[in-house]
Amino acid sequence: MPAANHSGSSRRQFLLRAALLAGGTPAMVAFLNACARAEETSSSAPSLKIASPDKPVTWDILKDNEPIADGLAPEKSATLQLYSYADYVSPDAVKSFEEKYGATVAVSTFNDTDEAITKIRAGSVDYDVFFPSYDQIGKLVNGSLLRPLNHSYITNINNVWPVFTNPFYDQQWRYTTPYTVYTTGIGWNNTEVPADIGALENPYAALWDPTYKNKTAVIDDWHTAMSMVLLKEGITDVNTNSAADLKIVGEQLTALVAATSPKVTITMYTDVPTGQIGLAQMWSGDIINAQNYLPEGGSAEVLRYWFPADGKGLVDNDLMVVLRGGKNPVLSHLFINHMLETESAKQNFKQIGYQPPQVSMNPDSLVTDGFVAENIKSAIVRPEYYDVGYRILELDPDNDAAWHNVWRAFKAGGS
Amino acid sequence: MTLTEVAAQAKPQSTRTRGSVLGAALAAPGLIWLLLFFLAPLYVVLAIVFGRTDPIFRTAVPVWNPLLWDPTQFSYVLSRIVGSQGIFGPALLRTAVFVVTAGLLCLLIAFPVAYYVSRLSGRWKGLLLALLIAPFWISYMMRMLAWVNLLQDDGLVNRLLSMGGLFDVRVHWLTGQPVVVVLGLVYGYVAYMILPLYAGLDRLPQSTLEAARDLGASRFASFWRVTLPMCRPAIVAALLLTMLPMLGDYFTSDMLSASPKTAMVGNLINDSVQSPGQTGQAGALVMLVLLVAVLPMFYYVRVTTRGDVAS
Repeated sequence: MPAANHSGSSRRQFLLRAALLAGGTPAMVAFLNACARAEETSSSAPSLKIASPDKPVTWDILKDNEPIADGLAPEKSATLQLYSYADYVSPDAVKSFEEKYGATVAVSTFNDTDEAITKIRAGSVDYDVFFPSYDQIGKLVNGSLLRPLNHSYITNINNVWPVFTNPFYDQQWRYTTPYTVYTTGIGWNNTEVPADIGALENPYAALWDPTYKNKTAVIDDWHTAMSMVLLKEGITDVNTNSAADLKIVGEQLTALVAATSPKVTITMYTDVPTGQIGLAQMWSGDIINAQNYLPEGGSAEVLRYWFPADGKGLVDNDLMVVLRGGKNPVLSHLFINHMLETESAKQNFKQIGYQPPQVSMNPDSLVTDGFVAENIKSAIVRPEYYDVGYRILELDPDNDAAWHNVWRAFKAGGS
Repeated sequence: MTLTEVAAQAKPQSTRTRGSVLGAALAAPGLIWLLLFFLAPLYVVLAIVFGRTDPIFRTAVPVWNPLLWDPTQFSYVLSRIVGSQGIFGPALLRTAVFVVTAGLLCLLIAFPVAYYVSRLSGRWKGLLLALLIAPFWISYMMRMLAWVNLLQDDGLVNRLLSMGGLFDVRVHWLTGQPVVVVLGLVYGYVAYMILPLYAGLDRLPQSTLEAARDLGASRFASFWRVTLPMCRPAIVAALLLTMLPMLGDYFTSDMLSASPKTAMVGNLINDSVQSPGQTGQAGALVMLVLLVAVLPMFYYVRVTTRGDVAS
């Protein structure tokens, strides 16, 4: 009879389970206690120090993490691990470095720097050189993920714009060197959008114009996209902690979805030249790079870019840093120096579209030198922009959460 | 009680014991699998949902001790589903509409195909089945990328619709069109519906169907009153096998739309995971999807149990 069988086996099962429970409970309690202790330890982590142009930061160099010594020989038969965005380091520049130092370079890619930092912290791969944006520097230094630089290896720093040898986010360039500079404006394909967007009173507002429904895109980066909304509304504090400002941003993003249903992506550099997207918020480097992605027989003549001529828009720069966990610190320094060399920097610019802040590369001659088509010359970044432009900064955790919540609501798509 | 009687009673008991040990041994791999790859990860998700956030990196810090759990992230998600702050509600509703529509369309397409292959194709059965599944040997991503190419403004679909340039057709298929996302889901998952339906229909006893016809039922009546009820467990299984993965799908919408207007709950989860400080919200949304997915599973268990009892 099933019942009798059930009763017999359940008694045995009960005894077995009781034994397992008796044996397992102390282990589980010990495990939970250990976890709780780990939680207590981690909760005493330092708070985030945030750099801004008004409050420049000089990061400390800790005793257990000092720069490498002068004059060391590069690591032999080494593989230098680079960690960057896709298509963000020129293969030719990498090749010339490999030939020069007899090293192998491996490039791993990430989609965004938050993802990258998570993987760096996990330590699964010993990346040597990383290419973050300057608004990640606080996390990277506070989290002891960077190795301070030994300036004696990086003599080509003299080639870059002076603003980057003592930037607000890293006074005395203790941990960072500049990699690329870029602005964020509006790019469009003249075939799809014949109007002169740049001549409009408020070019940002074109993205809300229903005429361009299903042809638009905004950058899939919360801070960059939301800052553009603030600028469109005439609010120039692109790191605002005002709830009222963020409310306006939320409302405007909802209106944006209703008006033009934009794509939220970072593939404008391929979609705008092919006409798949007609009008988009764009990084200057992407519109320049779009010249490399024109359809067969297409002309760069169709590309357009607008950024405020007075420089009062979003201006940013990316960095090269040496990671503390990397196995090749000497080669890392030499690679950074190589990328700051004028010829390598030009090679890189040609292939990735993002401008290096090289003193010798006169912004006025980039058109005649064949780097940038005449019709997108407004994508050329000028040193003076960094005096007047708006900088995206790290936000304190509460404000960061408030910004992200507005972005989440936008990405959820509304009704 | 004689010795023989005792022996006769003891024998089944020992057989039962051996059977129970064998059963436990056979069930062990499944149970271990469940423990390692379902219950343990589920606990990790809970530890993250109710955990903390790293003050510098804003990454999730799991809290393993349930006594220290903090419900803030979970409450945040729950309080923003309906009402004036209901930012997640529309995406959840949209997901339900997309998934149900795509599931039903899959059924409409898959049932006749599976019926034909299993019952009418004769010796071509094996070949037809292989051919139907052939496109699905290619990865999901590649198939979606192919559709991106076909649906581009100057892609083959628009060129076909323009009849070789006769008409000016410039449909923007890839910019936030819900229809495209639903059809993408149908295309992506329809094979997973054909197979269980085929298996269910293939097992239908021919004699029962013949009996229905012999007893005077028309073709339609025998289909409606015999075939369909008998393959209800297969239909439910097929719907579950396709609709449950669709619930968590984010890739289709990302590839074929990338517009917030077609965001599904999978996209919300993906976005949250990638946003610093919001992994807990992603976990909370995962729990919601899990809860929603469990309900039809109960229905499936009920249907199949009833089927077993009936048979």
